[in-house]
Amino acid sequence: MSVFLKMNGSIILRSLARFLVPFTIPRKRRVLCSGVLQRYLSSKIPAVSYPNKESTSPPEKLELDSWKITMKSSVQDVSADSGSKDEDPVVAMKELIEMWRLLGREVPEHISEEELKTAMECVSKSSKKKYLRYLYIKEKAKKARQTKKELKAATKEKAIKDQLLETTKEDKQQNFLFLRLWDRNMDTAMGWKGAQAMQFGQPLVFDMDYGNYMKPKELRNTVCQLLESEGWNRRDVDPFHIYFCNLQVGGVYHKELVRRYEEKWSKLLLTTTEKSYIDLFPKDSIIYLTADSPNVMTTFKHDKIYVVGSFVDKGTQKGISLAKAKRLKLATECLPLDRYLQWDTGTKNLTLDQMMRILLCLKNTGSWEEALRFVPKRKHAGYLEISPSSQEELVNRLKRSKTFNSFPKDSLKIHTQKRWLK
Amino acid sequence: MMTFCFTGIRSLPKLWKSNPYLGLGPGHSFLSLFLENCYGIRNQQKWFSLKTVSAQNTKAVNLLIAKARYLRNEGSSKQVSSDTHLFAAGAAKKRSQMNPHRKDDALPPMRNTIQLPTKPLNSEEWDRLKEDFKGRANFESWIISQMAQSCSSVDVAKSLLAWVAAKNNGIVGYDLLVKYLYLCVVHKQTSEIIDVYEIMKARYKRLESGGYTLLIQGLIHSDRWREALLLLEDVKKVMIPSKKNYNDCIEGALLHQDVNLAWNLYQELLGYDLIPMLKTLKAFFDFGKNIKDDQYSNKLFDILLYLRNNHLYPEESFAHSIKTWFESVPGEHWKGQFTTVKESGQCLGCGKTIESIHLSSEEYESLKGKIMKDVIDGGDLYKKTTPQELERFQNFVKCCPPFDIVIDGLNVAKTFPKARESQVLLDVVSQLAKQNLELLVLGRKHMLTQHSRWRKDEMKMVQKQASCFFADNISEDDPFLLYATLHSGNHCKFITKDLMRDHKACLHNAKTQHLFFKWQRGHQLAILNRLPGSKIIFQNIPSYDTVVQTTGDSWHIPYDDDMVERYSYEVPTKWLCLHRKT
Repeated sequence: MSVFLKMNGSIILRSLARFLVPFTIPRKRRVLCSGVLQRYLSSKIPAVSYPNKESTSPPEKLELDSWKITMKSSVQDVSADSGSKDEDPVVAMKELIEMWRLLGREVPEHISEEELKTAMECVSKSSKKKYLRYLYIKEKAKKARQTKKELKAATKEKAIKDQLLETTKEDKQQNFLFLRLWDRNMDTAMGWKGAQAMQFGQPLVFDMDYGNYMKPKELRNTVCQLLESEGWNRRDVDPFHIYFCNLQVGGVYHKELVRRYEEKWSKLLLTTTEKSYIDLFPKDSIIYLTADSPNVMTTFKHDKIYVVGSFVDKGTQKGISLAKAKRLKLATECLPLDRYLQWDTGTKNLTLDQMMRILLCLKNTGSWEEALRFVPKRKHAGYLEISPSSQEELVNRLKRSKTFNSFPKDSLKIHTQKRWLK
Repeated sequence: MMTFCFTGIRSLPKLWKSNPYLGLGPGHSFLSLFLENCYGIRNQQKWFSLKTVSAQNTKAVNLLIAKARYLRNEGSSKQVSSDTHLFAAGAAKKRSQMNPHRKDDALPPMRNTIQLPTKPLNSEEWDRLKEDFKGRANFESWIISQMAQSCSSVDVAKSLLAWVAAKNNGIVGYDLLVKYLYLCVVHKQTSEIIDVYEIMKARYKRLESGGYTLLIQGLIHSDRWREALLLLEDVKKVMIPSKKNYNDCIEGALLHQDVNLAWNLYQELLGYDLIPMLKTLKAFFDFGKNIKDDQYSNKLFDILLYLRNNHLYPEESFAHSIKTWFESVPGEHWKGQFTTVKESGQCLGCGKTIESIHLSSEEYESLKGKIMKDVIDGGDLYKKTTPQELERFQNFVKCCPPFDIVIDGLNVAKTFPKARESQVLLDVVSQLAKQNLELLVLGRKHMLTQHSRWRKDEMKMVQKQASCFFADNISEDDPFLLYATLHSGNHCKFITKDLMRDHKACLHNAKTQHLFFKWQRGHQLAILNRLPGSKIIFQNIPSYDTVVQTTGDSWHIPYDDDMVERYSYEVPTKWLCLHRKT
């Protein structure tokens, strides 16, 4: 056993050597050996002794059926106590999940009573599997976090130890030529920028009126995205003034936001209001950004107020935000994804943080190529080169619009008048 | 081909020589030459591979060619335009083949290229193979998956399990067992299946759906087929069994002559709202051959009515089973033939008229109400239009006389990409207006603004000859199309190429969807072609409904041709005509 463990351990150790050189093997074993692995490892014991037995029998005649006998005679693997044969469906479901796990399906190892009940309430087999897969991914992420945490703690401990050694060696005061840039200095700077944005910055509205269109899970995802987009905004050179409009105090959204931000919620440099954006801003300066809009955004306008619906819908409910904008008689626009990108798969709905980064980039650079970097790569197959013909068309259109619109009739008149005067 | 190669080679030095004259650098010329050579080689290989394939199964290919030729001849001799009808089986496939710009998805490159063993290996050989394996996955489960995919022989898989068991205290994991079972089922090794069944029963109190399905499928062919039913009961404890489970059980019951059990299982299956596999239904027909039993016959008639009510269509082999059953019933002189139906709705086999596609007035009213509620409103009017706009439109429809034809202006105008939009629309409208039809053209407001593709004078002509309604640029126009058509009465048709699948999906129950589809087939005109003299050719609307039907003395059953790939929104064109001689 120890031989095998060392082998396994050494392979992994090599890859991790950068972080943890003096790492005790027994500790490692505890970290790595989950139930499955343990069984797997322990299964390797007879492998050493097996070849001796094999060598005695002629290789031509393979014993193909002997394993069946041992399999049949061995005791039940899973929950040998079959006392309650006509058991309740909860147990049956648990066993089903266990069997799926043995088959290698993506199901969680541990499942709470509540989750089990939810799984049983799923109507179809596929919905059961989907839910279990979700739990599996959650469990895996949790495990990964835990191991990472432990690793981090170990490296920290080691670093402290090293430092202690060092300080005993050379007990010297450290002098710097430059002022050290602490995190809190950065925070202050960003805070100043945020405050400035709240006074003079361009508003960007998040419409929080979608609370009852979403399931709890979707709402949680939305708030995650909101947090992230707020972070991107805070770190930007020239942040937006963020408005959370239609945010009912005590509503689901508010609760979730407060839960996530904790005490920081009251110190955030953004405006939250129960009012709607149409009460705050003139209607004709509002542009609602929605993927369903027929109007394609051509340029970023610095004098407009862009509204983004903070809405995650996993099951596609078509056209809800567009309907909302129509009801309020607002202008709508969508990003020119098809004009610049060779769209591959996936919906054209983007997440809130992607949207935020695109808008920030647009505001700062004005370049679509630059801004659409933030569209996930998996959704498209690269940028479209603007072909000469389409470019020509664009130029033509520009010309036409100029001749038809931008030169008012009066100017023509003046021109003719002048000529006439001559 | 050889000559081609030679010329290629002969031109090699020529190219080399001529290049300096062209003023290109040597590196450049080499590149172009290399590319050409590459192409030559690749073409050659393609040719060879094609040839070898055709040499291997010439017979099959010839058969296919013969059948295709036969079909083509038949089509051309009769000039049946229903072959290309919008909702005819295979039409969508044909359309998709007409624009072949979508490149075929290339197969992903093989990463792990371990040769799967073709004969049982001993443990050393397995050990060696495992050392060769470089993937990150578990070797044992990876290799058995590969074997299951390529249907390796059972003995090879068994030797793998023996190897695993030997190094593992005689224990084989559940996933390996299930995949081994799969191979046994594929190769129909009944004794092996029973062995695995015994092992699983001994080791596990309960299995999961995949294992149960395989065991049921395997056990029904053995003497212990009744145990498959126990397994079915086990499945029921955790979930609704699949239609495949039921299919296997029913087939097993019929195989072992337990008719009552089969019918009970069938009822149970319907009770779960599952749609049975066509295989299951076919099994009942196959079993009933040569039996004179009125009760049994009535049940089969019920199956046919079930097909009718759910708009299901049998496949070719099932249609053959139905025909043989009808013809085999003793005492009743049924005679069947495979045929097609004329556009007028007359069966070419017996001359009877097929049911009309027109909806009864109750059906029509109920469809109208449902479409208003589910499609146009759909919970939020703003999703597709606005209340003001809908009201404007409703008033507009009220003021106008009932229309004969409603035209989806944008869709029609864009039918022929090379022609100017307004020109196409004007052609269609003026041709129809000549027949004294009351027309409505639906469009969006942007059609009225001057543009190179939307000429104002032509749009004026359109407006002169037809009533026009222009929706906001932001609204959808299809709901208006449906509304106007439905409110003009049963005679009113509409023109668009849109298949209206999204609107069909808005309707909540299957019955209304069937009704909508029937109405759509009976009322949707499609544009086939535009002749140089700007004459538009429309597709004929079928006058008959494609659905299983009976008059007591005759049955007409539309079925799917094996050669044609039918999409879910299409209907078959082939019919089985059965009638009783008196």
